[in-house]
Amino acid sequence: MNRNRLMSASLLLLAMSAMVSAETVTVITRENTVREVCRFLAPAKAKVQFGDQLEVTAKEGDWFRVNFRNAKGCIHKNAVRETTAALTDVSGKGYSTTSDEVALAGKGFNPEVEKSYRAKHPELDYHAVESIEAYQVSDESLKAFITAGGLNQP
Amino acid sequence: MIRKTLVPAVLLLLLTSSAPAGLLDNIQKGFDMLSTSSDATQKAARSITDEEEYFLGRAVAARILETYPLLKDPKLTEYVNSIGALLALHSEKPYTYGGYHFAVLDTDEMNAFACPGGTIFITQGMLKAVTNEDELAAVLAHEIAHVNHRDGIASIKKSRWTEAVTIIGSRAAQNYGPQELSHLTGIFEGSIDDIVKTLVVKGYGKSMEYGADKTAVAYLVSAGYEPGALKDFLDRMVTRGTASEGGILKTHPGTTDRIDNLRAEIPKETVNPSLVSKRTNRFTAAGN
Repeated sequence: MNRNRLMSASLLLLAMSAMVSAETVTVITRENTVREVCRFLAPAKAKVQFGDQLEVTAKEGDWFRVNFRNAKGCIHKNAVRETTAALTDVSGKGYSTTSDEVALAGKGFNPEVEKSYRAKHPELDYHAVESIEAYQVSDESLKAFITAGGLNQP
Repeated sequence: MIRKTLVPAVLLLLLTSSAPAGLLDNIQKGFDMLSTSSDATQKAARSITDEEEYFLGRAVAARILETYPLLKDPKLTEYVNSIGALLALHSEKPYTYGGYHFAVLDTDEMNAFACPGGTIFITQGMLKAVTNEDELAAVLAHEIAHVNHRDGIASIKKSRWTEAVTIIGSRAAQNYGPQELSHLTGIFEGSIDDIVKTLVVKGYGKSMEYGADKTAVAYLVSAGYEPGALKDFLDRMVTRGTASEGGILKTHPGTTDRIDNLRAEIPKETVNPSLVSKRTNRFTAAGN
């Protein structure tokens, strides 16, 4: 009886240790950048998209040090949600219970609803909205702008 | 709360298992329980996600562009976006789902609008009313604060969102039937109407405006702009007697009240005047 219990407990510990993989975070912005060092305008190491999972190796202030595919770098805490349990069972099947932001992705007011709204309102100029969204100030331009104006690096 | 209740339940399932073969099944069941209960909680009550806010914001931007045409001036657009991007990175929420974007509207009306999710409009009338980069930064900082405080989203009637959650909550994915889609589109449209009405006609509540002013000062200080730039701008509006005119002043609380509320928030230290002057030069060079 005791032997059985001991065996069960041992197997439980083994199973639990096999289950818990590295801590991960999930990207919650449409796109973002993994940066070489933990600063906003540091050189880019990788582009990430909504839902991408990044392995966390350390926390550094408002930043996570992460691994993503072959890249190592930093991502700001505001661009990700901590995956509350990133788990893999012994058969290799993954579990990932995440925050609302990730779990609710694609639900509610989503592209399908926008499409329906746009069909109802063809007079609305979404192309103009998209041109505004497509406009990006490059990191290099912003750095130069900050320096020239005697402003503070973020 | 739910998690606190369920984690022991999961552990109980694990510990009551004496047969190793049943262990993994029980682990699976436990995590399935966690997942199912978590979905149920989300259905009962949840706030608008950043992704949903983004879709609302795009529609609000499209509606504003119906009234005010977009100014296509690449140099000015780059300039306004540079100031806005820097301030956003100094804010408490440097990244939104779709990012921050800044655009100029071709109208003499003095105004600025913060669409949910991060698209911010400033009018040419406002660009003429500010006298330097620091004041322009102050106006943009105020609008970024509205985005971060989700003031636009707060103007959606609660009953609309409650109704939306009832429809959304019954769906595991985004596959709506024609009736549900039509219903949800109606709610989406109503929500956009609520926001546009607040932005363009009614204005936010006083506390939201005072809150945005206060937060704007914090962004200015962090970015290295003159902390008193917003107050300077408002002071001039009062002096010029434009404080009761239309546009932004029509939808905002009394300018003198805003100044009174700002006074205590402004740090005594000012920035180097030569840097303000340097920035004013590029403000002029950008076409202002």
